[in-house]
Amino acid sequence: MTIPWEQLHGAMTHFPIALLLFSAACDFGSVALKKFAFAYELRKVSFYGLAISAVASIGAVISGIALTKGNMWGRAELGWHHRFIWPAFGLLVALAVWRLIVRDQMSRTGFYVYLFLMFLTSGLVAAAGYFGGELLIAGG
Amino acid sequence: MVTALEIKAAKAAVLTSALALTLTFVAGGIYRQQIVRLKKAEQPTASAAIVAEGRLFFVKSCAHCHGKDADGGEDAPSLQKIPISAAHMTLVIQSGIKGDMPSFAKKYSEADIAKIVGYLQSLK
Repeated sequence: MTIPWEQLHGAMTHFPIALLLFSAACDFGSVALKKFAFAYELRKVSFYGLAISAVASIGAVISGIALTKGNMWGRAELGWHHRFIWPAFGLLVALAVWRLIVRDQMSRTGFYVYLFLMFLTSGLVAAAGYFGGELLIAGG
Repeated sequence: MVTALEIKAAKAAVLTSALALTLTFVAGGIYRQQIVRLKKAEQPTASAAIVAEGRLFFVKSCAHCHGKDADGGEDAPSLQKIPISAAHMTLVIQSGIKGDMPSFAKKYSEADIAKIVGYLQSLK
C-alpha cells in the first residue's frame, strides 16, 4: 500500500498554519483591545493555539520529508518553499518553548519581542504556504 | 525590562529549536540515503547472457576503434568507467557523433544496442 503523502501533507499543514495565524491574531488583538477584560483570555487562547500549532507542525514536517523523499532544499518552487519553511519551523518551536516556560510572567519588552517574532513567523509560514501551493499547481 | 526567567526561557527556546532542526535534517538525510540506495538496488543489471551477446556486438563493430576490451584506441576513448548514463550511451550509439563516430541505428536494433550498453555498463 502506498501512502498518499501529497494529500496527507496538504491535510497536515493547514492545521498548524491556521492555528499559528490565529494565535498571532489573538496576541495582536490582546494588545489592541487591552482595555477590555477579555484581552487576558485572548492571550490564553493564543498560547494554546501556538502550543497545538507547534505540536501539529511535527506531522507537517514528517509528511513533507516523506513527500520530497528527504530532499531538504531542492530547486525552484520547492527550494523557495524550504527556504521559508525551515526558519519558520525553527521559530515556531522556539516561540512555543519560550511561551511554555514564561506563561503569564511576560515583561512588556519580552511580549513585544515575542509579538515581532510571531509576526515574522507568520510571514515566513505564509510565504512557504504560497510556494507549496505553487508546487501543487505545477504538479497538477 | 526583560526578566531573568525570559532570558532563561529564550536560551531553552534556542536550544530546543536548534535540536529540532538538527534532528529534522539528520532524519531527512538518512531517509534520502535510504531512497537512493533502494533506487540503485532496483536498477536492472544486465544478465550474463546479455553482457556476453553485447560483447560480441561490441567486438564486431566497436572494438577496432575503442579497443578489444573497450580500453580505448588511437582515435577513440576508453569506454571503461565512462561517466555517462545508459540512456546517454544508447543515444550516442544510435545517433553517432558528427565527424567522429558513425550511427549504428540501422545496423543494430534497440534490443541489440541495449545489449551493447549492458556490456559497457558491466565494465564500470
